[in-house]
Amino acid sequence: MKHLPKHLQPRWRYLAVELEGWPDASFGRGTFQRDLWFAAQNLVGDTGSAEVDLSVLRFAFEDGAGHAIVRARRGETDRARAVLACLDAVDGDEVGVRVRGVSGTVRACEEKYIRSPPEPTDQRNVVFENAERRAVARDGRIDVRTDDAFVGATELDL
Amino acid sequence: MFEAVHAHPDGAATVARHAKTAAEYGFDGIVVRNHGDALAEFDAEEVADRYDVDVVEGVEVRADDPSRASGFVGNHRDSRTVVAVHGGTDAINRFAVEQPAVDVLAHPMAGDGDVNHVIANAAAENGVRFEFSFRRVLRADGGQRVQAIRGLRKLRELVEDADAPYVVSAGPRSHLHLRAPRDLVAVGETLGFTAEQVETGLAEWGRIVERNRRIQGDSFVEPGVYRASVDDEE
Repeated sequence: MKHLPKHLQPRWRYLAVELEGWPDASFGRGTFQRDLWFAAQNLVGDTGSAEVDLSVLRFAFEDGAGHAIVRARRGETDRARAVLACLDAVDGDEVGVRVRGVSGTVRACEEKYIRSPPEPTDQRNVVFENAERRAVARDGRIDVRTDDAFVGATELDL
Repeated sequence: MFEAVHAHPDGAATVARHAKTAAEYGFDGIVVRNHGDALAEFDAEEVADRYDVDVVEGVEVRADDPSRASGFVGNHRDSRTVVAVHGGTDAINRFAVEQPAVDVLAHPMAGDGDVNHVIANAAAENGVRFEFSFRRVLRADGGQRVQAIRGLRKLRELVEDADAPYVVSAGPRSHLHLRAPRDLVAVGETLGFTAEQVETGLAEWGRIVERNRRIQGDSFVEPGVYRASVDDEE
């Protein structure tokens, strides 16, 4: 279909989203998009979802860290923020989500808010609470593998 | 603005990890409110210096009946800056709002807990803050979440009517549960809170900390009376 004249085209805002998870978290763009839509539907319903009109434009997530650029209708960025804040897990993996900023273009969003690429992780043995454990370290954050789960720590705890 | 966190072993991230993440998210500080049976060991000053964020020692007293809760509050009051009570039953809710020594009644609407105008007025009179816990809004779904949102709404109406003090928290148990202040404001707005209410609630933790540090400081004698050295007079 012929595209709309400029004044009728929808206006968008682009949210730079920082993602964090445990080191064994692994999900792709499609799963993230699906769970984001579910989160929107659960929080603001079908009508709200249609109004906010979220879609994932850029996505990168590996070894428990990543980022995404999420598009929302202009004027709906607060609701988009709320939906993102309510995204507690993707594909069963717990995630920490934070909106770093909002821009009017994808490019501005990437240049201003996305630190790329994430720092590489480093596997090592650490002593945590008087026991030797395997751990995954990145940029001063250290996720220690305990018997049944991870514990989030930093270099101060070792 | 402050967030009140449950740290390892009461949660899945250490105090330092909470502090690092909270600093990145733009909080001024964190209150460590581990339950009394799972206290964290940490050096608040060291963590605060490293991540440039205030780290406050608190506790969330959890007990089945008011008399035991009262004992725990007494034990912790002198050594901790913030004392909260794990709410969620009518007996404990009533106990907490009648104790001026209690700073915060945490999640009063959780479980079977309920609040009415009498409780709200008692809280206003004794300066006990109600916690608006966004925890289940952020982390539950379906019926549980509907119930949590209904509870928040009822509590908000009572708090507004009684002009009772309140705090807001996401109730994080790991760094992944933390949400930035602005994102919490956005969530609050979808629940019917105003942005100012959520901001006031997040800042209120800081006011509790400031007040209690002053009271627990050496120069405090009684309200309105401070010890000062003679040199200060000039």
